[in-house]
Amino acid sequence: MPANPKYLTKSKGQRFAKITAAILGGYLVSISFHLALASWFDRANIMITMAFSGFILWVALMIVAFLAKNGWKIWLIYLGLSLFFLGLLFLGQNYNPITN
Amino acid sequence: MNNRNYNIFFHTHTVSGIVISVILFVIFFAGSFSFFKDDITNWERGETAPISKQINLNYDEALKVLDSTYDLHGRKITLSQPYNVNNVAAYLEASKDSLASKKGKEGQFLYLNNSTYKTSTYVESYNLGEFIYRLHFLAQIPYPVGYYLSGFIALFFLFAIVTGVLLHWKKIVSSFYVFRPKEKLKTWWTDAHTSLGMLGLPFQFVYAVTGAFFMIKLLMVAPSVQFLYQGDQEKLYKELEYRSDDFPIENKELTKAFSINEMVAATKKNWKDFNISRVEIQNYGDANMHVQVEGEIDYGKKFTGIGKIVYKVATDEVVFKKDPLAQSSYLESVKNILYRIHFGDYGGYGLKIISFILGILSCFVIISGVMIWLVARDKKNMPEKKRRFNEGVVRYYLAICLSMFPVTAFTFIVAKLWYPLGQDNMYAVYFISWLLLSLFFVFKKNNSFTNRFCLLSGSILGFLIPIANGIKTGNWFWITFSNHQFQMCFVDVFWIILSAISLYASFKLKTISKLKKTN
Repeated sequence: MPANPKYLTKSKGQRFAKITAAILGGYLVSISFHLALASWFDRANIMITMAFSGFILWVALMIVAFLAKNGWKIWLIYLGLSLFFLGLLFLGQNYNPITN
Repeated sequence: MNNRNYNIFFHTHTVSGIVISVILFVIFFAGSFSFFKDDITNWERGETAPISKQINLNYDEALKVLDSTYDLHGRKITLSQPYNVNNVAAYLEASKDSLASKKGKEGQFLYLNNSTYKTSTYVESYNLGEFIYRLHFLAQIPYPVGYYLSGFIALFFLFAIVTGVLLHWKKIVSSFYVFRPKEKLKTWWTDAHTSLGMLGLPFQFVYAVTGAFFMIKLLMVAPSVQFLYQGDQEKLYKELEYRSDDFPIENKELTKAFSINEMVAATKKNWKDFNISRVEIQNYGDANMHVQVEGEIDYGKKFTGIGKIVYKVATDEVVFKKDPLAQSSYLESVKNILYRIHFGDYGGYGLKIISFILGILSCFVIISGVMIWLVARDKKNMPEKKRRFNEGVVRYYLAICLSMFPVTAFTFIVAKLWYPLGQDNMYAVYFISWLLLSLFFVFKKNNSFTNRFCLLSGSILGFLIPIANGIKTGNWFWITFSNHQFQMCFVDVFWIILSAISLYASFKLKTISKLKKTN
């Protein structure tokens, strides 16, 4: 028996928002989160951890986006989180600049 | 779990699964055979090679031969043994010497036979093992399309795995033990899909994550380079220890005689169970020539035990030394483990065979998922047009997926009888027979016929593989067995067992379908 359509998103706009938030938004949050961590903590270790945790977090965020009630709201949350992590990244880079 | 979440997991699992299914099947099927890539290569060539990561080479002789044809002066030369075959990969970078000859300014990638020192290009040494291995990440589709496609398939496979687990979370233990073969077809497929899916879950999770990493790591690397390393990619690779230190060329002739063999032997002597896997020579023949000898401890002794010594040739000085027995860093371990757990090459043939079985089992999980999708939608209340469309989708899917088995067996035979087949012919044999057989099944419009025909024809062709090998080369598997030519013997015996199992299955299928008819 296929999933009960009663619980699925019917509006095309909402569907578009959820799918893009899942794939693009999830990617932005996952990357910015790891980069922010890398700018503050052991950079090499975080970078190599990202080789697997980057994809796992991305997929987890995809699922969260599909569970959301409102696709645009989850986009807003993901964008906000990405900007927040980017802010942390730039702060981190100023405090711990990369030296050769 | 509330009903809403359950249905969302259900729907996203279904949609992502059905979209990736065919390509994922191709990846898993070819990938399962790729565990035996080196055996297949050796079998095709009729050779036996030591099963070890260690480079087997008289370096001094080999370099002399390379020098006469490619003028090594001032070059960086990397020698490694990526596969258990009778040749070594040699990467010759263009000479750093501004006065180098025309030959010396051309970079080269070659395979070098480790006893005859005969060199061959990548295309010249293309073989069946390489073909199947590359098919497994769709490398035959021009770069970067094939790589990205397979990478994203792996990513959405991870998505399907996680939503699948969430979907079954509540009944995860109980449904694992449920199998109701006598119930209706839908329950049969569902039970098989859930319990075998659970069984393969850790395996599939690992392959999904590492597969995504191999193929689309650029999606992680590019933003890191851009935002964290100010656009300097080298900095990232240096920090992750993917690059060794560069030594500048002095443009002065090296006056001292040297022997790479001695440096390799000296390095190997340092540690017990240490195998030399990579030798990198910088500024060949220059006063600032450096030799880096790198190796690994046996996986059975230490899982991540990478060591190296860098020598400055002019002074015989050890410039750098890394002890493989010292505690490995987190960075080193992750880098090693990401590859080892995907390649399954650390536990001998036992692990490879188990991995093969789990890989084929994953193929079955994919097919059963597609079948659930079809059977669940094959209802009276569904519009006729939609039902016909669904039926068509599954017919195409099964035709493409299942025909891989006889097509692979067929290519083994052709590759043996017309050895060396070469890259272009191999593409033609595999892809054209695949296309024709798939089209035949599509027009035949009978899924159970497709299934039985593939099992039976694959099995017959599979039995013919050792016979073709025996007739063509005289290397019958009992002869190779008594000669300890393990890899050749293995491929023959492997196909016999595989064919016997699929023959048994195809007869079983016949009796089942007969029973159903009489009922």
